[in-house]
Amino acid sequence: MDVLVIHLVNALLYASVLFLIAGGLSLIYGVMRIVNMAHGNLYAFGAYVTAWAIGSVAGGAPTVLLLVLLPVGALAAAVLGAVLEPTLLRPFYRRAEEYQLLVTFGLLMILEDLLRFIWGPYPLSASEVFENFGSLTIGDSLYPTYNFLVIGVGIVAAIFLWGVIYKTRFGVVLRATSQNMRMASALGVNVNRVYIQAFTLGCFMAGLGGAIIVPGQSAVLGMGIDAVVLAFIVVVVGGLGSLEGALVGALIVGVVREAGITWFPEIELAVLYLIAAIVLLVRPAGLFGRP
Amino acid sequence: MAGEVNRRDFLSTLGVSVGAALTASAGSVIPSVGVAHAQDKPKGNIPDTPYKIGHMTFFTGPAAVLGEPMYKGQLLAAEEINAAGGLLGKRKIEILKADEAAGTDANVKELRRLKLSEKIDFFCGITSSGNTPALGPVAEELKCLTIFVDGCTDFLWDKAVPNPHYIFRITNMQSADGVTCAVAVAQTWPKIRKVAHIHPDYSYGRNAFDHFGIVMKKLLPHTEVVSEGWPKLGTTDFSSHITKAISSKPDLVVSSVWGGDYVAMYKQALRYGMFQKAKFASMIAFGVAPHAIGKDHPEGVIAGVHSNYHFTYPDGDRWPYNKSFVEKYHKRFNEYPNFQAEGGYTATYILKTAIEKANHLTGGWPEDDAVIAMLEGQMIAGPAGYVYIRPDNHQGYKDAVTGFSKNVADYPFPILDPARIITIPIRNITAPPGWPKGEPTSTYTWIDKTWPVAKV
Repeated sequence: MDVLVIHLVNALLYASVLFLIAGGLSLIYGVMRIVNMAHGNLYAFGAYVTAWAIGSVAGGAPTVLLLVLLPVGALAAAVLGAVLEPTLLRPFYRRAEEYQLLVTFGLLMILEDLLRFIWGPYPLSASEVFENFGSLTIGDSLYPTYNFLVIGVGIVAAIFLWGVIYKTRFGVVLRATSQNMRMASALGVNVNRVYIQAFTLGCFMAGLGGAIIVPGQSAVLGMGIDAVVLAFIVVVVGGLGSLEGALVGALIVGVVREAGITWFPEIELAVLYLIAAIVLLVRPAGLFGRP
Repeated sequence: MAGEVNRRDFLSTLGVSVGAALTASAGSVIPSVGVAHAQDKPKGNIPDTPYKIGHMTFFTGPAAVLGEPMYKGQLLAAEEINAAGGLLGKRKIEILKADEAAGTDANVKELRRLKLSEKIDFFCGITSSGNTPALGPVAEELKCLTIFVDGCTDFLWDKAVPNPHYIFRITNMQSADGVTCAVAVAQTWPKIRKVAHIHPDYSYGRNAFDHFGIVMKKLLPHTEVVSEGWPKLGTTDFSSHITKAISSKPDLVVSSVWGGDYVAMYKQALRYGMFQKAKFASMIAFGVAPHAIGKDHPEGVIAGVHSNYHFTYPDGDRWPYNKSFVEKYHKRFNEYPNFQAEGGYTATYILKTAIEKANHLTGGWPEDDAVIAMLEGQMIAGPAGYVYIRPDNHQGYKDAVTGFSKNVADYPFPILDPARIITIPIRNITAPPGWPKGEPTSTYTWIDKTWPVAKV
């Protein structure tokens, strides 16, 4: 019984981080119609910055201080996004989509090299936070307490985003731009500003995903590329451009992956692609996508 | 050797020893790494053109954790040799870097370009077992003298290049990892019954699983596999794999997860209480980035080093080649060498040795064929101990080493417990020359057919 509960919490843990990454990716696509291949490395950037920040505080620092440092990676990713959108992406909006794919893919590579250039090839860990939280008992088993914080952040982020998009004026503008950029522009919306805000918010989410997961896992080269592939599976399942889709997609991927590892270890890797393939066959736009 | 034997007797015939000292001191006839002060004068006219080495390894991506030290090991050797005047006192070594992360097809093209356009004299490096079987045949075709540092798959010599001429490889073969780990387990914890596995899902993890299994079948035939986990290489989330392993209530968890993946895995396993619930053995835990492991790592687990090398063994003044290598490497790069660094360093010196011996016979700059003839059967005293290049398959063999994690005051990370190092003569755990090529590997079929089953 307790094992089942742990499997469920594991799935939620995975889904929380995936939602943060895929949600940002989907938000950016929804508003700007850009498939940001570099998104995964903004997640990695968030992870590296947080790991570096926590690692540079001498050992033995109080957990509260370390927790305060946790969002540093998310903020850094947001700042990076705010710089990248007007400088690198804006010149390509009027071009064909292939150019945007090429540019963001190039950016993915450049960011990967940048991470290695700054922090070297070795894994960077911020495990002090993870360790300080210790473990709690579920039945006869131990479970890392910190993982609940990650799940909590995932849930709060989902509620916060829902609030921003459906309950604020900014959300109205965002949705208007997403539905019809020209009309919104004609009605006096500063589209450039909306774009930079949406992109920054998307990058913040990716960075937050990296920042909260790094204490439990450590930052390694290549993590961004893996993350963007998984995020694409999520948005394929949920529907590109839909936040609800990202949430449901992340939950589905989290649960299926957990079940795959437990009962079908031999096809652990294939099982995620299988779901994506099935969804593509049955509902090509994804579960929540606009066809 | 069919039939049943006593396990302890059989282990002693394997020559497995714990806390072992070195058997012999380095004789003056065996070449060694490092530049000697008094070198023999080379014979004949030696050109002073640079000696170009193409070094391909991972400079980007997660495997850079292996690639960079490999390059640094070769770079250190090259700098030492150049400071003493170069190869045969004349030819300075020049290293051309290439990134193995470009992918197998691109790597093959790059090797061709390096040989045909850059006119490299020697090709070295390679980390991935996916790349040596692709690059090996091409190096043969290009007649390009090559020592692979790693890419240690048995498949290279079993299938891809069964009769090598131009290519060599310096690290232990992959199968040695699973076998070494299993022998260490059989000797340390003979009472285990249930084994859970967590391995990266690619050739290395599969190979480790297979060879661990075949040795278990022989030495601890009563054990059973109760759980398998196959995380993707590069995964840092092991929650599900750990949960699954623990829920199968194993006596032992075995893993060949490495690098940053391993650091993440052991930290998560700590919080899940995995190390309290089961014993733990790894093929490669301390092999990849010894200094990346934290003091929180559990003590007393079998922490493998890819059967190859941990910089703390052989320790102290007993084996000066290691002591001076570690000192020089640490001074130059401000980190401790891993098995790849040792491999890159030793590969460079074994080449230098072969060139010098060939020069003594032929005079002048020796032809590749003369260097190859010298490399075949060459033995060198490297930091890890003696490495012997077997003439039939051009594979470097050195005694396998593993041990138990322990925190000591001297290092800010755990090392192999100096009092309990396990060493195994490599010939006792690898298929001998002439053994028919087998499936999945020759060593696997050799163990299956020739090792007796130990009595329960």
